[in-house]
Amino acid sequence: MDIIQMKNVSFEYQQDQPVLENINLNIKKGEWLTILGHNGSGKSTLSKLLIGLLKPNQGEIIVDNILLSRETIQDVRKHIGIVFQNPDNQFVGVTVRDDIAFGLENLQVPRNEMVERIEKYAHKVNMAEFLNKEPHNLSGGQKQRVAIAGILAMQTDIIIFDEATSMLDPKGRKMILEYMKQLNAEGVTIITITHDMKESVLSDRIVVLKNGKILKIDTATNVLKDQETLEKSNLEMLLPLKVLRYLERENIADEKVRSYLWQLSLKR
Amino acid sequence: MAIKFKKVDFKYQGNDNKAYLALSNITLNIKAEGEFITLIGETGSGKTTLVQHMNALLTPLSGDVEIFGVKINRENVKKKRVKLNPIRQQVGLVFQFPEYQLFEETILKDIIFGPKNFGVDEKTAIERAKNVIKVVGLDESYLSRSPFNLSGGEKKRVSIAGILAMEPDILILDEPTSGLDPLGRNALLDVFYNIHTKLNKTIIIITHDMNTVYEYAKRVLVMRDSYLVYDGDPIELFTKKNIENWNLDVPDLLHLINQIETDLNLKLPKKPRNETELFTQLKAVLK
Repeated sequence: MDIIQMKNVSFEYQQDQPVLENINLNIKKGEWLTILGHNGSGKSTLSKLLIGLLKPNQGEIIVDNILLSRETIQDVRKHIGIVFQNPDNQFVGVTVRDDIAFGLENLQVPRNEMVERIEKYAHKVNMAEFLNKEPHNLSGGQKQRVAIAGILAMQTDIIIFDEATSMLDPKGRKMILEYMKQLNAEGVTIITITHDMKESVLSDRIVVLKNGKILKIDTATNVLKDQETLEKSNLEMLLPLKVLRYLERENIADEKVRSYLWQLSLKR
Repeated sequence: MAIKFKKVDFKYQGNDNKAYLALSNITLNIKAEGEFITLIGETGSGKTTLVQHMNALLTPLSGDVEIFGVKINRENVKKKRVKLNPIRQQVGLVFQFPEYQLFEETILKDIIFGPKNFGVDEKTAIERAKNVIKVVGLDESYLSRSPFNLSGGEKKRVSIAGILAMEPDILILDEPTSGLDPLGRNALLDVFYNIHTKLNKTIIIITHDMNTVYEYAKRVLVMRDSYLVYDGDPIELFTKKNIENWNLDVPDLLHLINQIETDLNLKLPKKPRNETELFTQLKAVLK
């Protein structure tokens, strides 16, 4: 079942300067989809359209069988949550608890249930001991975990990670990746927007955007080995694959070395 | 030595009125020429606080910082015995989100703002702007454009040009490449590398990207819980030290080299520092 359908979606901030053009994209329930593309390719605009922060100039977006519109936006947001790039830009509460509560208040979740959910999901991301702390004293990785708890508490079945690991230190990044894997294994549909090719290996399918258009949609494996597509969109090939391509070009790799490098690059 | 730290401590006042150690007993020397340093460590380990001491934006709680012969300590700053303006010009600091600091209507005006502030006349400042815009890899036509319609990478370049126009001896950049796509990141790192080699300037980069450390740095500083726990060669750091304890990662290139050497039972003559070196060595070994 397609949990998200984008049909002929276009968007422009200024007339005749399209940021996204004719996007047709179906995302399956439980799928992990990566959106790759250079800076300015339209990746973040696409995520803002999906959560209704922006309204398409043309086309329609259907989330969990609901046609996204001004009238349905609150319903749609019960199904889809987003974690943004900069952990500092997504805090509204005085304490971590307030922050997780914020989304629930918007959904008008009853008080008892709200308290329960906050405890449950703060535990889930290992932030329960910080519930009464001020968010701005946390590290970047901790802030992103709180943001994730806030979305989990809303029990959405789709989570978008919009370059959510790109500003974190190695430890914070690893931890967020672990949560992505875990959530996906539990059936949550994951959409990651990233420049990190190592991150995209984890996903089922990859969409490559270039100048606001879809350049390629295919399985992660097929996209990651497609040098032409990657080069066209300012992306780098995974290092073991680069080495493999070089050895093939120079005609010095035997079968054993080749298959080893291939296995290595696609290891999750 | 251009910058000398001697037993420097610094504390922050938290919102709970408790003091938090941000720098503990830091001793360190940095030359005015020829250094390419990366500064790494977990979020909150003290990296940004450390570089803010390097151009006297912060004053040590105890200990001394000496910048181009000027001694920065509580007493000197309090009694206004030291002039801080020349230091800010000599040590250029590019903040983590330099794009937030662009505010003029044209890029030219943004770039000449800094030098004019330090007493450079308008004509000279404009000459410098024409030069530095090329150094950061953009052409002169950008100067008349507005800074607001630029991509993230372009905005970073423009703000770096603004600092370069002040002609600092030392250039410090706080996470300059985070959030850029791979091509943008490499292009910007090449800009820093060119400034370093052609103008012989010392570059200090704060980063979470271990690949930058491995492929570019001559020297790496590691901060951990307000302490400077490592100051030395990047290869030695990644091969000999227990970096897991400092929550660092193995650079992609080194990780691949280690895997290849173990699994394919190969030995590369010297640890390759970049892809080209890896290719050349692999070719020699596999043939």
